[in-house]
Amino acid sequence: MLTNILSISLGAILINNFIFSQFLGCCPFLGCSSKVDTAAGMGLAVVFVMGLASAICWVIDQFILVPLGLEFLQTLAFILVIASLVQFVEMFLKKSVPSLYSALGIYLPLITTNCAVLGVVLLNVQNNYNFIESVVYGITGGLGFMLAIVLFASVRERVAFSEYPECFEGFPICLVSAGLLALAFMGFSGMQIFG
Amino acid sequence: MNIKKQFKEGLITNNPVLVQLIGMCATMAITTTLFNGVGMGLSVLIILTCCNVVVSAIRKIIPNEIRLAIFVVIIAGFVTIVDLLLKAYIPALSDALGVFIPLIVVNCIIIGRAEAFCQKNSVGASFFDGVFQGLGYTCVLIIMCVVRELLGSGRFGGGLIDIANGFRFTLDGTGAGIQIFPEDFGASILTLPFGGFITLGLLIALMQYALKRSAKKKAAAEKAAQADKEETVC
Amino acid sequence: MNKILKLTLILFLVCAITAGILGVVNEVTYQRIDEQNRIKTERAYQAVLASDGYEEVSFDQAAFPTVDLINRCTNGAGYVVTTTFSGAQGSITMAVGVDNDYKCTGISIIKHSETSGLGANAASSSEKGVNWRAQFVGADENVAITKMGGTIDALAGATITSRSVAAATGTAIRAVESLG
Repeated sequence: MLTNILSISLGAILINNFIFSQFLGCCPFLGCSSKVDTAAGMGLAVVFVMGLASAICWVIDQFILVPLGLEFLQTLAFILVIASLVQFVEMFLKKSVPSLYSALGIYLPLITTNCAVLGVVLLNVQNNYNFIESVVYGITGGLGFMLAIVLFASVRERVAFSEYPECFEGFPICLVSAGLLALAFMGFSGMQIFG
Repeated sequence: MNIKKQFKEGLITNNPVLVQLIGMCATMAITTTLFNGVGMGLSVLIILTCCNVVVSAIRKIIPNEIRLAIFVVIIAGFVTIVDLLLKAYIPALSDALGVFIPLIVVNCIIIGRAEAFCQKNSVGASFFDGVFQGLGYTCVLIIMCVVRELLGSGRFGGGLIDIANGFRFTLDGTGAGIQIFPEDFGASILTLPFGGFITLGLLIALMQYALKRSAKKKAAAEKAAQADKEETVC
Repeated sequence: MNKILKLTLILFLVCAITAGILGVVNEVTYQRIDEQNRIKTERAYQAVLASDGYEEVSFDQAAFPTVDLINRCTNGAGYVVTTTFSGAQGSITMAVGVDNDYKCTGISIIKHSETSGLGANAASSSEKGVNWRAQFVGADENVAITKMGGTIDALAGATITSRSVAAATGTAIRAVESLG
C-alpha cells in the first residue's frame, strides 16, 4: 500500500509530470508564468483544487454514478462539481481565510477551465484508483504542476533579458523553453521505483 | 460579417491556435500520427459547430448571470455524445485519443467562441464561425502531425492510410502509413513531448513572421500610395 | 431570493434536458460499445493463442491480484490470461497466451495509456511493436528485461513499461501453473 502510494506520488510529480509528459494544464502554465510569485500562487491553488476535486468526484462516482449505471454522465457531472467547487472554495476563503484568499483569489476562477483538474479526475476513474490513491494522485499531480510552473517562470524571467529573433516574441520563445524543460524531465523517465 | 471574411479569419488571421493561442494542450499532446490529428480536429469541429448553433439559438433566453454554467453544460453534453459515438463506431480513435476526448469540455476554443462570438451573432453566422474555426484548428493539428510524424518516424498518414492491400483509408487504426524513409533514421525525439512544444513554438513563430511581413508590406504599399498622391498634388 | 430560485430552476432544467438527451444516446450506443469491447478482447485472444472457443476457469484470486480472468482454450492448446497492472502512465490490460508446457505463446495489449512514441510502441501494430512483442514467444515464468538479468530487450525510453509487461507475463504464467 505504502509503496504503491509512493510510486503514484513520484510518478505524478517527476516521471509523468502533468505538464511535461501529459500536456494537461498547458493554458494556465503558459498564461500565468511570467513571474515566479504568480506562478507559485497559481500552483498552490491548483494543488488545493485538484486534491479536493479528486476526493469529491471519487465519492460522487462510486456512490452515485456507478450504482445507478450513469457512467456516461461522468464528464458532465465532474465538470459541474469542479465549477461549483471552485466557487465554494472562493467564497469560503473570502470569508474565513482572507489572507489565503488575497494570495490565491485571482487564480481560482481560472482553474475551472484548467484541463489538469478535469484530467486528474478522469484519470482516477480510468486507472481504477481507490479513495486514498485518488486523493494522493490529485495532490501530487498538483505538486507536479506547481514544480513545473515555478521552474518555468524562473526560466522565463531570464529569457526576458535575452535576445532572440523578433518573430519568436511572446509565445513561441516560451514554447521552445518549455520544450527544453520537457527534455530535462525526460531524464526521469528511466527512473526505477522499487524495481 | 460575410462568409469569406469568416473563412479567412478562422484559417489564418484569427486562427484559434496560431493567433488566439488557445486550445494548446491537445494540439501538443495528440499530434503524433495523422489518424489522431484528423480525428481530434474533426471531433472538435463537430462539437464546436453544434455548440455555436445551440448557444446562439438560445442566447436571448438564458439569464446573463448563469450563462457560463449553461455553456459548460451544453458543451459537456455534446462532448459526451461524440465520446459515446466514437466508442461505438470508431473505437480505435477513442483508444488513441483517450482522455483528450472528454477534455474537449475544457478546451478554451469552444467556451471562448461561445462567449466572444455566438452571444452576439445570429445562428447562421455562428454556424459558419464554428465550421471555419474548427477547420483552422484541424489544419494546425494536421500540419503538426505531418511534421512530427515525418521527421520523427519517417512515416506519413500512420493509422489512417493502409498500403498493404492497395492504397486505401482505414478507420480502425491499423494502417501502417507510407514509410518515406526508414524509421531508424527519424529523430524520434519529435514524437515525444519535447517535439510537441518545439514544433508548435516554431509554427507560431513562423505565423508571426508571416503576419508581420504582410503587415509591413501593407504599410509600405500605403506609404508608396501616399507618396504618389503627394507627388501628383505637387 | 426569487431571482436565485429562478436561476437555479433554469440551470437545473438545462442539466435535466442535457442528461435526458445523453441518456437516449447512451441507450442507442451502449450495446455497440459492449460489442466493440468484446470483439477487441476476442481478437487479442485469437492473436495470442488461437482456439475455436474459450471457457473461464476459476483460480486463486487472492494469490494473483493482478490477474482478471483465466480462460481455457476449448481446443486444448492451453490458456489465455487477462491481466491488468500498472505501467508507466496508468493501468495496462493485456492478454497472455500460455501453452500446456507453461511457455508464453504471445502477448497482446488490449488497453493502455502509455506515452505515445515510447511506451505506446509496446501495443502498436508497427514493425517495432510487433518485433518487440515477438520476443515474449516461448518465454517462461522467469521472463525479464535484460537490465534485470533476463532476455527481453526493453523498448528504447520505456524501461518501466517494458519491465511491467515482462513482470505481468511472468505472473500470468505462474497463475496458470497454479491451476496444476
